[in-house]
Amino acid sequence: MNPFDDNRANDNDDLTELLNELPEVDPPATIVPTVMSTIAGSARAVTTPRVTTFRRGSTMAKKVLWSLAGAAAVALVALRVVGYPPVKEGTEATIGAAQRYQAPQVAAADVKVEDQQFQDFLQSDLFRELVNDKAAQDAVQNPDLQKALADANVRAVLANNEARLAVANNARYLVRADARRDAIAQLKLDAKLRAALEAALEASPALVAAISQANVADALAKSSLARVLARPDAALAISNNAVLQVMRQASANARNDAAVNASANAATNARIK
Amino acid sequence: MVDTDDAAVVERCLAGDHNAYEAIVTRYQKGLFNVALRMLGNYEDARDATQTAFIKAYEHLDSFDREQRFFNWLFRILKNECLNVLRGRRPSEPVSPGLQAGNGADPVEARERHQAVQEALMALSVEYREVVVLRHFTDLSYDEIAATLGIPAKTVKSRLYTARQQLGDRLVEWQVAR
Repeated sequence: MNPFDDNRANDNDDLTELLNELPEVDPPATIVPTVMSTIAGSARAVTTPRVTTFRRGSTMAKKVLWSLAGAAAVALVALRVVGYPPVKEGTEATIGAAQRYQAPQVAAADVKVEDQQFQDFLQSDLFRELVNDKAAQDAVQNPDLQKALADANVRAVLANNEARLAVANNARYLVRADARRDAIAQLKLDAKLRAALEAALEASPALVAAISQANVADALAKSSLARVLARPDAALAISNNAVLQVMRQASANARNDAAVNASANAATNARIK
Repeated sequence: MVDTDDAAVVERCLAGDHNAYEAIVTRYQKGLFNVALRMLGNYEDARDATQTAFIKAYEHLDSFDREQRFFNWLFRILKNECLNVLRGRRPSEPVSPGLQAGNGADPVEARERHQAVQEALMALSVEYREVVVLRHFTDLSYDEIAATLGIPAKTVKSRLYTARQQLGDRLVEWQVAR
């Protein structure tokens, strides 16, 4: 081959033949469904404007935004240090009593969740819902499910409502290698989704192990976990160790709060009587 | 060079019809996956890089210059993904066994030969590997390769020349043994 000649018909030397002999490989069947389900679940619309404009049409520079955000953070820290807002006298005992029952909060320095996408998830209603859902928590803390959700193909399949329900309802067949193909063939899913599900189960022993546990399979369909899995960004977040750590602590706090409230209500009822 | 089909799909996506994007993924998945496969030498990594490239391209469709060829833009995104994978990879990671399959009179020898070629490709620097991959595993002309890589066509040719010298040195026994 003469590399200065653009005509491939003249590429007939041994090295070119060796290279041309490498087989063209068919792409995995999961690429199209994974990409399409991910972009469907993506919160960001491609048409979303990326810049902030003011009345006169000027563009707000990123560094100005960062400066404002930094100033706001400094102000918040300063207010925190000087103790604002002031606590009214007479409330100390009530607050103190409640604090005795609370587990220590997770400090920012304890857990670093640096990805903005994960930070957004931690601030969402969905996260609060998940933290307060015992069945979902049990499933989320399952190591097999965590490992399975680290795989983008598994997340893509479980993001689809029909596929997720099918997995939850047919888990006992899908976990069996000898029955899986027949079970998938009978699912009322379109061909691409069936192929993606089969590929995900074949490629992820962790997914098979996860859905072989009844509490995990049930949670896929019924609990707030289903709403998390429907969003690939949220599903990715719950496979992140730092997010899981925050979630464990928040869930423990929520249970403690519930116990404190129950205790306070019982005491109040006793006084009324 | 503007592919009018791609441009129309991009317009539909930007108008909010995300389902239109399936045509792009279907059209380019094979070419892009095979490029990633030869750049990375690993089936799973190539799959993930290809998927991520398509997703990132969708997320940044509004920045696509419609005077460019869509594949060129997509390839640049894929190349960055491949570089990310290679940066995070351990030096001794083996070539994926899935790449060794092939047809021929002696399947065992063919497999060994394919593995040797893939290993020789992986031994090239990324700059050399990408010109070989684009030249031999896509139908791009030198000018298109140059546009895709953002380098002059003359540089494409000189890199290809050096890359082929290095490949030839590594594969000398296979060239005479065939």
